[in-house]
Amino acid sequence: MKATRKSKKKFPVFNLVNGLIFIIVCLIILIPIWKVLVDSFDLRTAYGMKLWPEEFGLAGYLSVFTNKTLYQPLIISFVTTIGGTLMGLLLSTMGAYVLIQWEMPGRNFFANFLLFTMIFSGGMIPTYLVMRGLHLTNNLWGVVLLPAINVYNLVLMRNFFEGIPASLFESATLDGCTPMQTFYKIVLPLSKAALASIGLMFAVSYWNDYTNYKLYITNSDLYNFQMKLRSMIMGSDLPQATGGATENTVKNAAIIVCILPFMILYPFLQDYFVKGVNIGAVKE
Amino acid sequence: MKNNKNNAGGTVAVRKAPLKARIYKYRGFYLMFLPVFVFALMFHYLPMAGVRYAFTEYKGITDPVFVGLDNFKKMFGMPNFWTAFKNTLELSVIRLLMSTLAAVIISLFLNEIISIKFKKLAQTIIYLPHFMSWVVTASVFALILSPTNEGLVNTFLINVGILNAGEEIYFLGSNQWWRFAFYIISLWKETGWGTVIFMATLSGISPDLYEAASIDGAGRWQKMRYITMPALNNTIITVLILNLAKVLNLFESVFVLQNDATMEVSNVLQTYVYYQTFNSGAIPNYGYSTAVGLFRSLVGCVLVLFCNWLSKKVREGRGIV
Repeated sequence: MKATRKSKKKFPVFNLVNGLIFIIVCLIILIPIWKVLVDSFDLRTAYGMKLWPEEFGLAGYLSVFTNKTLYQPLIISFVTTIGGTLMGLLLSTMGAYVLIQWEMPGRNFFANFLLFTMIFSGGMIPTYLVMRGLHLTNNLWGVVLLPAINVYNLVLMRNFFEGIPASLFESATLDGCTPMQTFYKIVLPLSKAALASIGLMFAVSYWNDYTNYKLYITNSDLYNFQMKLRSMIMGSDLPQATGGATENTVKNAAIIVCILPFMILYPFLQDYFVKGVNIGAVKE
Repeated sequence: MKNNKNNAGGTVAVRKAPLKARIYKYRGFYLMFLPVFVFALMFHYLPMAGVRYAFTEYKGITDPVFVGLDNFKKMFGMPNFWTAFKNTLELSVIRLLMSTLAAVIISLFLNEIISIKFKKLAQTIIYLPHFMSWVVTASVFALILSPTNEGLVNTFLINVGILNAGEEIYFLGSNQWWRFAFYIISLWKETGWGTVIFMATLSGISPDLYEAASIDGAGRWQKMRYITMPALNNTIITVLILNLAKVLNLFESVFVLQNDATMEVSNVLQTYVYYQTFNSGAIPNYGYSTAVGLFRSLVGCVLVLFCNWLSKKVREGRGIV
């Protein structure tokens, strides 16, 4: 009796406070994003503390989508993200499939060959010199190919593949499947969740890539949207504003455009994102 | 363990079929591995071979000239290098501890939310900033923390009377405030995502444990203290070890938030290498910046191996590489 009364009295207060804490936490996360969103629709220059647009208008977004200097980086971002993700998935799945062939001569050597790159790296400058030597600087192939070999993602993929029952491989071989046929008839269809998780990880890192562009791309015609946004915010490259938009409106609109693709996709794909992390760290 | 077993299996197979036959059997797989091999060779092993420039003076236009350990002597004599080294450790380690602590606390409270819908919504929102790039994050905060009358934070501080007009704080442009801003922005961006791994652990705790504790008369705090916290210990150690191995990688987050005025508190090894090479105003000596990079890689390598050893020790033999 005593216990129930106690819990009845205590729990609602705790739940209320806990709920309030999370409302505040969520507001702290959302207000900066909200502020940018509001300012991207506001055609006035002085912003201050307003959390609602004073003079609503779409001119900021119009500027992003009608000026070639702004939409071209956006196209480059899309193309390199899609190309890079496919490339990354191809390398990760093929590498991972070979690494689960336990009886294959040289398998351990290949595994160590890849794992060693996680322990030691040549560093920023030797990598830059190699990229320059391979004519991959100021070349979009460079920023697509370099991140495609991601050993961490490859190991994650291998962990997924290890969960496929060995008997499936055996029966496929008995049925006369070549390794390539087994790969795309058995392994890939069974790994859709892994392909989605790891594909998303690749896609996010390609879309958000700034460091590789900063290091290997100096020609502003080859900038992706992150680079373009950065140079606009730093003031080295004033945005072209059209249709009554101020520079600030365009900057804010550019930020929103930059985060929009994943903001739209993310609520639907949240589980795949989360799965990737958990396979990587918890199970490993 | 697994490898040993398979090695043993391999020796048995040697007796069964000659090596040539086994290689022939797997010929398709070698072909499949070829692209991966070439990529790793090109983008990981060629740069590794490039560390030889650390022992040369290499100005780009002329051929590298062997100078022995001169670059390292120069490096250890540079106050800027030591500042960068110290800053790297300080910024990384403090950020790691702060964000892990914050993620644990948030997870504990998140776990107590009863309404599943509200919990899901809160999770969706706090994970959000993780998917924004550092460039976007820096852009958002550059606008919000701006010292001119447009900045949200300064305007707020003036309106509530903490600051007087004209005393606006340039958070990202003063040595006094930069680190504080860096930690807060990092927390804003990554704390939510940091809870993912803890939430996974918490969802694995059997509800029976809580029920049994309730029957024994344990309250909410006691259950948190004696069931939830101990379950998290292992995960906390894992997260700390995994991230400790990466503390020297600090680059992009600092690079997009720093500026010339705050170099003293914000310059880290990677940004130091970058500025020495691409932004020094003189002809870059690739040899010197390679040497700094090599020092970073070697210390990083020791850290990874140490963390791997530590991980095997505390996580029942599971390493991190």
